[in-house]
Amino acid sequence: MSNEHNVKDALNIYGTKLNSRLLIGSSMYPSPSVMQQAIQASGAEVVTLSLSRQNPQASGGQAFWESIQSLGLHLLPNTAGCHSVNDAVNMAQMSRELFQTDWIKLELVGDDYNLQPDPIALVKATEILLGEGFKVLPYCTDDLVIARHLVELGCEVLMPWGSPIGTGKGILNPYALQAMRDRFPDVTMIVDSGIGLPSHATQALEMGVDAVLLNTAVAKANDPVLMGQAFAKAIEAGRSAYLAGPMAERTAASPSTPTIDSPFWHQSA
Amino acid sequence: MFESDGSRFAELPAQDANNGENRGEKKPPIAILGAGLMGRMLAISLMDDYQVFLFDKDSKEGQQSAAYLAAAMLAPLAESADCSKEIMQLGEMALELWPAFLKKVDTPVFFQQKGSLIVAFEQDKSDLNQFKSRLKGRDYKRLSDSEMEALEPGLNQYFKSALYLPNEGQLDNRQLLNSMATTLNDSDVFWFDSTAVESTASGFQVKGQPLEIFLNAGVNDTFDWILDCRGLGSQTDAILSEAVCDAASDIASRTSKLRGVRGEVARIRAPDVHLTRPVRLMHPRYPIYIAPKGDGLFVVGATQIESEDSRNPTVRSTLELLSACFSVHSGFAEAEILSIESGLRPAYLDNKPKIIVKDKLISVNGLFRHGYLLAPVMLQQCLNIVKGNISDISITQIMPNLVENLSAKPRR
Repeated sequence: MSNEHNVKDALNIYGTKLNSRLLIGSSMYPSPSVMQQAIQASGAEVVTLSLSRQNPQASGGQAFWESIQSLGLHLLPNTAGCHSVNDAVNMAQMSRELFQTDWIKLELVGDDYNLQPDPIALVKATEILLGEGFKVLPYCTDDLVIARHLVELGCEVLMPWGSPIGTGKGILNPYALQAMRDRFPDVTMIVDSGIGLPSHATQALEMGVDAVLLNTAVAKANDPVLMGQAFAKAIEAGRSAYLAGPMAERTAASPSTPTIDSPFWHQSA
Repeated sequence: MFESDGSRFAELPAQDANNGENRGEKKPPIAILGAGLMGRMLAISLMDDYQVFLFDKDSKEGQQSAAYLAAAMLAPLAESADCSKEIMQLGEMALELWPAFLKKVDTPVFFQQKGSLIVAFEQDKSDLNQFKSRLKGRDYKRLSDSEMEALEPGLNQYFKSALYLPNEGQLDNRQLLNSMATTLNDSDVFWFDSTAVESTASGFQVKGQPLEIFLNAGVNDTFDWILDCRGLGSQTDAILSEAVCDAASDIASRTSKLRGVRGEVARIRAPDVHLTRPVRLMHPRYPIYIAPKGDGLFVVGATQIESEDSRNPTVRSTLELLSACFSVHSGFAEAEILSIESGLRPAYLDNKPKIIVKDKLISVNGLFRHGYLLAPVMLQQCLNIVKGNISDISITQIMPNLVENLSAKPRR
């Protein structure tokens, strides 16, 4: 993204400065080459990827991972599909070895139907992984208290949901996200999951959220490459709007130009 | 050097079977590497005009072939939800070509074109809507409850909405592979089964010898064409892509980009289940078909996992496949599981097939999950190239990038 703010206004993930405020997933695209093009079009500098089901012990997904690695972007392995602290820790360790990064998107499924994160297991696993030197990006709900526990453990990034994974419902509880933003102004806050439309991403960035992470919205679009571009623009717009400082909302109309033919005391307030 | 001067290949011992009417005539020699779906179809289509030498590392049953495992759906429209329009159009073309090809094999092969049903549970209804919006053709119909029941009375009553795609077809892949094997065994084709072909810096070799030497051919003998249909078997050619500069290596540098995409398929005998056409169930990760192949046999597949993992099917995939079955028809509960198998589909990064031509070498590969969907069209395009029939542009018009010609100049 070309943005004049970029020099000063970088996204900070555990000290790594990034220009793009979009983190993007690598699953469900029609083909690896469409995935590559869509990711490039989105301008994302961080790509999430998962080891689950690929039998990494035998490097089962090697060819596919290479198509992601060839993009030269930061890799963010995730623990998608893990239900227990042990599973998640093991997968994180395996991912670190395979992809040579200590970043981990920590995801612990607490409910199978809406893939809601298990906040208690999440906190436990976060503590273990931070202790092992991982840079943990925890996928959490918008619960303020869980967020506080994560931050107290040492998380420099929080990844609350907008709405459940894959639903595309956008930000269901803006109040909760805003509260989290206000309470943790120095933590990098990334809305992870639920983003269905570019306007959802814009909304998040306008609120002062630092970045969004998404997958389905681009991968399952009829034209993923074009949707990748749309998100790049939406995120740039949202961030610029936040930096520009939006006007205050008011309840009644207020004409931007006074109508010259009526005295000001006749104009509606 | 590529013009045929008639076969000077040494007389090879005749196969046991009847060698057919062409025995004694001199036909130009042609080599086919790989006896999966494409290799067999090419051999059958070329054996009247060429002396065909067919090499395969597998037995004649072809169990290592992706074609052995496939559900053999001929569903261009349903597939178009996740593939390009050009593949859909080629698939439609192929569907029309299948009956003519099936007449060339000696034993009957189950082939059906009665359409397919796409169903979703209430909570996955949005997936069905999304699926519909992604279809690249219009030949479908939304079914009401009663229409669904009229079409497939056995279907689970929970399904409240379905799409009917009237033109979709399917065939029995194992019957076809067997039938082609029988046909080839009864022909004058030399089929070297359990005989792997390896690419080396100096060309293709069998058991450490160049193909021609292996066949006791003279020094100047050359094949008119070598057709490489080895699927993922040609992945190992990657080492050739560097430094060596012959036809095989040029193609190898491209086929080395092939990857395997894992699939798992169940075969089930369920005499109590009466479905007359394939049912595709909306699934969050991959399309699962339940395809009735006649005689109470059902093929249920397939998972689609970005991995070259060659293990046997996993518990999770098995549960997914079988619960898909059970949810579509409770009669599957007492069905007999004949097999659950896994395999790898050869695919290029764009998941599209490619025919690469370099001098006298033709590589057909990357048919991905569309082997049966596209095979007759791939076959026709290969025959066009072999026979110099450049006026037929019906296929390349639809998919201009299908054929990549690396030869220095056009052959003819």
